[in-house]
Amino acid sequence: MKNNRFVALVMIPSVLYMFLFVVFPVVYGLGISFFNYNPANTHNTFLGIENYIRMFHDDTFWLALKNTIFFGIVALVLNLIITLFLAEIISVIPSKRLKTLFRTILFIPCIAPVVGTSMIWKHGIVATDGMLNAFLKLFGISPHNWYLTQGPLLIIIIVYTLWADLGYNVVLFSAGVENVPKEFEEAAAIDGAGPLQRFLYIKLPLMGRTFAFVAVMTMADYFQMFTQFNIFAANGGRNNSAMVLTNYIYRTSFSNFDMGYASALSAGLFVVVFAVAMIQNRLMRIEWGYE
Amino acid sequence: MRKKKEKEVITYKKHHYVIIVFLSIFSLIMMYPMGWTMMTAFKTNADIRLNRTKFFPREWSIDGFITAFEKAPIEKWFINSVFVTVVVTVAVIITSTLIGYVFAKYEFKGKKALFLLLLATMMIPGQVTMIPRYLLVQNLHLFNTKWALVVPNLIGVFSVYLAKQFIEDVPNSLCEAAKMDGAGPFRIYWSVILPNIKPAIGSIGIFTAMRQWNDYLNPLLMLNDIDRMTLPLGLVMFDSQRSVDLSATMAVATMIMLPMILIFLMFQKQFIKGLTMSGIK
Repeated sequence: MKNNRFVALVMIPSVLYMFLFVVFPVVYGLGISFFNYNPANTHNTFLGIENYIRMFHDDTFWLALKNTIFFGIVALVLNLIITLFLAEIISVIPSKRLKTLFRTILFIPCIAPVVGTSMIWKHGIVATDGMLNAFLKLFGISPHNWYLTQGPLLIIIIVYTLWADLGYNVVLFSAGVENVPKEFEEAAAIDGAGPLQRFLYIKLPLMGRTFAFVAVMTMADYFQMFTQFNIFAANGGRNNSAMVLTNYIYRTSFSNFDMGYASALSAGLFVVVFAVAMIQNRLMRIEWGYE
Repeated sequence: MRKKKEKEVITYKKHHYVIIVFLSIFSLIMMYPMGWTMMTAFKTNADIRLNRTKFFPREWSIDGFITAFEKAPIEKWFINSVFVTVVVTVAVIITSTLIGYVFAKYEFKGKKALFLLLLATMMIPGQVTMIPRYLLVQNLHLFNTKWALVVPNLIGVFSVYLAKQFIEDVPNSLCEAAKMDGAGPFRIYWSVILPNIKPAIGSIGIFTAMRQWNDYLNPLLMLNDIDRMTLPLGLVMFDSQRSVDLSATMAVATMIMLPMILIFLMFQKQFIKGLTMSGIK
């Protein structure tokens, strides 16, 4: 259809809005990354690429980058494996009611605010007199103050994220798993394919689009996780061992008000997220291209 | 030979009682922290100090809730959260369906380029632009008001994309017929498009409402006054000020989580349908 007046009426305000709240912040952020920018200053000195040079020599930046990538990849891979597995075994249950029940239960942690569930884990599970130490005591392991550990704290945050986030992808994958016609699987079974083979070679490729969508969305999410890091390791944990880029940017800009440098770090985060998205896009196309 | 293979399919199916037992245990583990929180909210602090990990309270007490209400403006946090969530969700539903409608059903110059630009903005992580957005909100004099959480969130790019995908599936003949009958673009939008994309609207609404209700980063950046905070930020503030009073903190946590969980359980079917929909499109 054609109706230029109507199109203009909708699109002009929308485009202006998007420019103001999405495009402009990107450009502006890039701009201030070249300054020694502090909102309290009356004059902000132009630094050129000095902030970026500083970034390359900043050990905390590299550590945060490493942690971000480690967290993103480990959590993403574990999430995909576990949620595919759960979606598959739930789909095998004959009772529709039970299926819905399990999916609902797994989804409940997703519906609760991350802040709320992080707080539960912080006080109930990870705290020195919490459930984790009580559980380890059964195996004769002495209690730890996990907030003072280096590697384990990051692992705990990964486990928390998986717990908080599983149900979402289980629901998304369930649709994919259930849409695969039963005959396909039965035919493969008659040809001698075991359950794992049937899943990997028949179901998974047939749900390619769903899989790609879920993987991309989850990845984008995980590389930008902030809340749980801010709650479990507000200062980055011991020796910044649980510092991720988002939290580092937050701390640099809002605790130290070093916003020019924080903007350079933001540009760094952007490059990382973008690069990972590109790599993933490539992999997906190769893997799922024959759809 | 054939018989044996068929039998294998059947035995695989017969494993479902194992699966059910496994999933039941798994579900219990998943739910345990939630249950513990609600129980801890009813414990006394002395009880918690004695043994934090115990599930049931030794003696039931509502002191935690009383402290929470006395020491924190929970009703205000709740009203702020509801306000922001409702306004943003309604706005996003309207903007995304309108923009999606224009992209799906109208021809105009630069449409492809604009749509590509829109998709490109989806690639920009919100965390990357948090500093400029904070400065923008300050310059617009929205800082430390609830509008700081509303005004920058009126259009959701992913929602526009989702709406467009669904509106494309509404047959053009329906729109043309309405046009023949003299319906203007808004009329077509209201009586042809919207009724035909109800599931998409549900999906967009759920996504947006969940994101807003649970948002922590933006309130953290944009709000200063205790009374103006939303629930997630309020909980963190409360916890940092009264970290010894675990019973009260868990009471606040319970009150933050419960509304969402109850709404989810009530509309559980629509929720799951809406989410699934977004994954398939």
